Amino acid sequence: MESKVKVRGLIKSFGSLEVLKGMDVEVADGEVVCLIGPSGSGKSTFLRCLNRLESITGGDVEIDGFNITDKETDINKVRENIGMVFQHFNLFPHKTVIENIMMAPVELKKMTTEEAKTTGLSLLQEVGLSDKADVYPAQLSGGQKQRVAIARALAMHPDIMLFDEPTSALDPEMVGEVLNVMKQLAKNGMTMVVVTHEMGFAREVADRIIFMDGGYIVEQGTPEEVLAHPKEERTINFLNQVL
Amino acid sequence: MNFIELFQQYAPSFIDALGLTVRLTIVSLVFASILGIVFGMFKVSSNKILNFIATIYIDIIRGTPLLVQVFIMYFGVAGSILQPMGMNWNDFGGGFTAGVVALSLNAGAYMAEIVRGGIESVDRGQMEAARSLGLTYGKAMRKVILPQAIRTMLPSIINQFIISLKDTSLISAIGLRELTFNSKIISANESADVMSIYLIAAVYYLVICTILSKVANVLERRMSYGK
Repeated sequence: MESKVKVRGLIKSFGSLEVLKGMDVEVADGEVVCLIGPSGSGKSTFLRCLNRLESITGGDVEIDGFNITDKETDINKVRENIGMVFQHFNLFPHKTVIENIMMAPVELKKMTTEEAKTTGLSLLQEVGLSDKADVYPAQLSGGQKQRVAIARALAMHPDIMLFDEPTSALDPEMVGEVLNVMKQLAKNGMTMVVVTHEMGFAREVADRIIFMDGGYIVEQGTPEEVLAHPKEERTINFLNQVL
Repeated sequence: MNFIELFQQYAPSFIDALGLTVRLTIVSLVFASILGIVFGMFKVSSNKILNFIATIYIDIIRGTPLLVQVFIMYFGVAGSILQPMGMNWNDFGGGFTAGVVALSLNAGAYMAEIVRGGIESVDRGQMEAARSLGLTYGKAMRKVILPQAIRTMLPSIINQFIISLKDTSLISAIGLRELTFNSKIISANESADVMSIYLIAAVYYLVICTILSKVANVLERRMSYGK
């Protein structure tokens, strides 16, 4: 199967601190990959390297066949095809929900205002927030904000979705509504890379789980292999703490 | 003569002078706002050279008195730059232009600091979200960061407008007949009522500054969203 993401020997340093110490990852079309591991293990940094929100220190990252470590590559064009959802939602507070969703498609001339509005409203329906189109983010709950953030990312019709701990900032009772939207997305065949602490979600939805620690991939495999029958000492210790 | 009579007698002259004060303020603030946005962007830029240029500019302006800046611009530039070329300030619109240049450069530096502060007050995640959607740095600034920054900046901007308005009184030192210099000229003929003459000037300043801050309050209320 065609690879959507190809990472070879990815190294990321902040000053003298090496956070990623040579990562090799491939993600196939339509695959859902969950990254788990203790905090500080480099999961989020790895995810942020995939759309170059973090500058890349070494190695190669190829997205949809474009090498984003190459200076010649127009990163803005590649980013149009990579949706990203953040832990703290990062909705634009000065714009209404529908304006949040419409902004990128209209600004980047992918759609006319009318098309963007139609797309936006149907995406809001998909995430169950049709009635919130004209309110400002400040009036939404955390779970609603995150669902709007997902709709905003989807409005650009991305091939790949990146999720950076999408439920970590939510009250427990709102986690489910966001995970349900993500499950639906996975079912529809979206290629997804998800940094998460939700082991239940990972077990149910992921095609593959990658356990990271100290800037390396310690172990990876199907949810069954990694969560139920971990081979590595560090994976076992981590799972004992979180499960 | 009492205060009211003096006020009425010299109203035409003060209204002319007020006109000049307001023109000086408005023209200077337009240029200062442009300078402020440009150098404020330089200040938050990751480009070290732009950053350095902005820092030097702001430090020089903040570290020297406005009156000295006005004199350098008017007398200094006239003597060392214009005269050797066989020109003087009258070829460029006279003291008004010199005053506007000095005031714009001065207010521009303070505005740049306000713009920098405003931009830095916007959460980093906003820029990241905008960039992750594919927006360029410039577009993300214009559409996402600046509209939010302006809310935080507004009180400081208005404050700077009021300061600049009052700073135009220093332009009296290069002979422009704005409110302050007008009072000085009149008080030379009304030596018994010097107090009243300067109080009249104070009333004019007070009225326009008060209007300005009321307008600011209205703007600020209009700009709040979804709260």
